[in-house]
Amino acid sequence: MQEKTNEMIKIFIDKEPVDAEEGTTVLKAAERAGIHIPHLCYHPAFPPEGSCRMCLVEIEGFPKLELACSTVVKEEMKISTKSERVVEARKAVLEFLLAEHPLDCPICDKAGDCKLQDYYDEYGLFESQFKEAKEKREKKLKIGKSLILDQERCILCTRCVRFLKEVTKTQDLGVFHRGVHSSVNIYEGASVENNYSGNLAEICPVGAITDEDFRFKTRSWFLKEGESICPLCSRGCNILIEYHPGFSRFELPKRVYRIKARENPEVNGFWICDRGRYGYSYLDERRADQIIMNKKEGENELTCENISRHLGEKIKNLSSARKTSGIALILHTWLSNEELFLLHEIFKNDLKVEKIFFADLPDGEADGFLLTSEPSPNRRGAQEIGFDIKTVDLGALADGTDFLLAFGPFLSGLFSSKDLRGALDKIKTKVLFSSNSNELNSLFDVVIPVALIAEKEGSLTNVEGIVQGFQPVLEPPGESLPEWKVLSDLGKELGMDSKFYSEFTSPEAILSEMGKKIPFFKKKND
Amino acid sequence: MKEKVLTEHFGLENLYKIDVYQKQGGYRATEKALKKMKPEEILEEVKKANLRGRGGAGFPAGVKWSFVPDTDKPKYLCVNADEGEPGTFKDRYIMSHNPHMLIEGIIITSFCVGISVAFIYIRGEYEAIALRLEQAISEAYEKGFLGKNILESGFDLDVFVHRGAGAYICGEETALLESLEGKRGNPRLKPPFPASVGLFQCPTVINNVETISNISHIILNGAEWFIKQGLPKDGGTRIFGVSGMVKNPGIYELPLGTSLKDIIFKHAGGMKEGKKLKAVIPGGMSAPILTADEINIKMDFDSLVEANSMLGSAGIIVIDDKTSILDVLKVVTKFYSHESCGQCTPCRIGNSWINKIVKRIAEGKGKKEDIDSILRLASNIEGNTLCPLGDAAAMPILSITKKFRKELESHL
Ligand SMILES: Cc1cc2nc3c(=O)[nH]c(=O)nc-3n(C[C@H](O)[C@H](O)[C@H](O)COP(=O)(O)O)c2cc1C
Ligand code: SF4
Repeated sequence: MQEKTNEMIKIFIDKEPVDAEEGTTVLKAAERAGIHIPHLCYHPAFPPEGSCRMCLVEIEGFPKLELACSTVVKEEMKISTKSERVVEARKAVLEFLLAEHPLDCPICDKAGDCKLQDYYDEYGLFESQFKEAKEKREKKLKIGKSLILDQERCILCTRCVRFLKEVTKTQDLGVFHRGVHSSVNIYEGASVENNYSGNLAEICPVGAITDEDFRFKTRSWFLKEGESICPLCSRGCNILIEYHPGFSRFELPKRVYRIKARENPEVNGFWICDRGRYGYSYLDERRADQIIMNKKEGENELTCENISRHLGEKIKNLSSARKTSGIALILHTWLSNEELFLLHEIFKNDLKVEKIFFADLPDGEADGFLLTSEPSPNRRGAQEIGFDIKTVDLGALADGTDFLLAFGPFLSGLFSSKDLRGALDKIKTKVLFSSNSNELNSLFDVVIPVALIAEKEGSLTNVEGIVQGFQPVLEPPGESLPEWKVLSDLGKELGMDSKFYSEFTSPEAILSEMGKKIPFFKKKND
Repeated sequence: MKEKVLTEHFGLENLYKIDVYQKQGGYRATEKALKKMKPEEILEEVKKANLRGRGGAGFPAGVKWSFVPDTDKPKYLCVNADEGEPGTFKDRYIMSHNPHMLIEGIIITSFCVGISVAFIYIRGEYEAIALRLEQAISEAYEKGFLGKNILESGFDLDVFVHRGAGAYICGEETALLESLEGKRGNPRLKPPFPASVGLFQCPTVINNVETISNISHIILNGAEWFIKQGLPKDGGTRIFGVSGMVKNPGIYELPLGTSLKDIIFKHAGGMKEGKKLKAVIPGGMSAPILTADEINIKMDFDSLVEANSMLGSAGIIVIDDKTSILDVLKVVTKFYSHESCGQCTPCRIGNSWINKIVKRIAEGKGKKEDIDSILRLASNIEGNTLCPLGDAAAMPILSITKKFRKELESHL
């Protein structure tokens, strides 16, 4: 959905000339010009609803205030977004909303992140004139696997109702009753169980729908956010990772508190699935943060810094025939394009290694919307780079192998410990790069802790062939480091084409080199 | 000479039967329209007649029809028979006494606009009238005035009666469409207007029962004659429904422009024994109130706008001096608070808030600042809502509170 290149027309917003796309709305034209017009019910994913009345603006020649969300711009239209009349009308809307609002911000998850709170702050901090009894409603309705609805906080923007009608088409929620008794509720016997339920808490502009995964866990203003890509399937949905930088006086059990959708019309629109939203515990749980040595390696202590030299020497010591048949690789498709490319260059192109296997989580089921059947983010990238994605075969793996370089924690899920141990025992030297600890830790000679996608830089190729870059959001824990770093050092160490490898000081440099060698990556990169 | 147009034969026994209706010249207009006139000619005549909508807003019917675009999509006619405005009870008389006059109007309108399916959306409580309409419709089918190839003109039309479920808001034209589609009756955001995007997303004409009932008369007698029955810019008669403290409450069909004073004191027999006039709501409850001194006024759309009120549905509610204005305000605010669909913020919360204040005043717990609060809140509703119900609530509340402020203050 590329932005359409419609004719541009001139309008005036708050006396300033502004170029607006013909056919667009006042709200979108203003947004484009960097002017935020307050709104609660409007959400860019849906047609204008026009019910909250927050986006009223004054337009010359119109007797009444008009909705910015639905009014289409006309040549020379003169719009005022902050005249006294407009401000008074917005204040009035806020006064109405707050009159029947419980004002329980101190115990509301949305506090600090709440449009109602923000607009009240912006429009006057007036005193309540409401002297009557507020309507009593349900404050803790469980409406889905992880969602709680507080009808008193609800401002009836109906974003949730429309999401379930238009996106998931499950229509679990509706507006019940009329007038001031109107309330959002779940239909009898229904429950929001679909794989996109978490989006409801996210699009709720206030704290009416909260998510049990986040509820009462922390305050939103402690959290920092960073842009990333969801690695849990090959869609590669764009996400925001919200993490807690920690308190100075005591440690927190985890860093990441919430994953949110980040808009990308080409990949995921405004949404992410529940698998991606709630499946973030791997970022903090059982993280490998120190090098583990199960077998003494000569005099020198191995460290993450000298590991590539160590590996390089091991490889150099093999005869050239043994290099081809004695080395085996186990890869996975959480590795970035750049990492997979380096692996391909070093092991497949230069060393002519034959035994290259992949160990990923087993395929799941696609849900027909965003979630794909491939539970890793870069299978397409591996294919485009030239790998044949073969699952590990333990017999073939161990057969005549001296040296195994394995990546990822996923091998443990594919075989029983007994079978794994049986096969690995036959291999003399075996090194594992893994982000998360599991039983594999004891099966390898050396385990090197590595960074996750959220902690490093690189790019991924999603199921549709869209190459998406990512930057580190979190610090890699302890000694862990990104694989691309180890691999580019290893390339240098092996001295195969030292000039080639010495230029790889960043994933960006690797990707641009990839573009020269593989047309697929050039096209996407331009 | 001005005459009765719509109610002329109301006294006649069994007028609702097609034979009786036809003996009075019924369905001659249909024959004339379908056999002798082109749709454009009909439209021209209706435009010239300055027939303004009888449902409330007074929009010229012919102009509305001309907004229907020329498309391949089906087009629909929805006759608004919801009659929910308090103080309004004219459409029920038309439909129960003379259903065929309405059906004729539906046929001619549909022929003119190119519609082949029409709905009559009728107030749920009008069960007996709905049955009568259905009987009349089946009679019209039998006689070949409905169905396929009507009067060999090649024109087809089906008419359905749909009963509402009791919400005032479903009389608002777009809420009516939602309700007719089987959804919750929430008004739609406009534009688009129903003439271009209406029922099931297709072009739709929505007119009040009384509006449509005038059509056969315009066709038979011509626009010039029609204008003579009322005013040049406001053709025809109105059926005024007079209720409240008058001697003879009921409906009175009179030319547009008849004085309000005459309607109350001549036609409706004046005030009941021992009662004095205090105020009049001239056009259904949504119309701003007039005090006893303000009734020397012509009853037509423009004159009432000039008097800062509105002709609306022409339901005249007569209030006597023994009636407490606080009670009136309580009824008004309770009604709109109850009938707000709840979709948009100012109407949903504003009306309930005002009603809460008024109830508190009635309980003897009024505060000095309450009157100003009511005025402030009502002004914040006015002009800022999604559908006209917000204004329909704010206008009477503002006028009652301003004009009877002293009396209201005496309750504080
Ligand atoms: C809250 C509300 C209730 C209404 N109720 C009715 C009604 O009961 N009957 C009616 O004919 N028009 C009603 N209207 C007016 C309709 O929206 C619409 O204007 C009318 O049916 C158009 O027909 P007309 O042009 O022939 O008057 C109502 C409007 C509002 C805002
Ligand atoms: S003005 Fe009232 S009735 Fe109309 S849409 Fe808004 S809440 Fe509903």
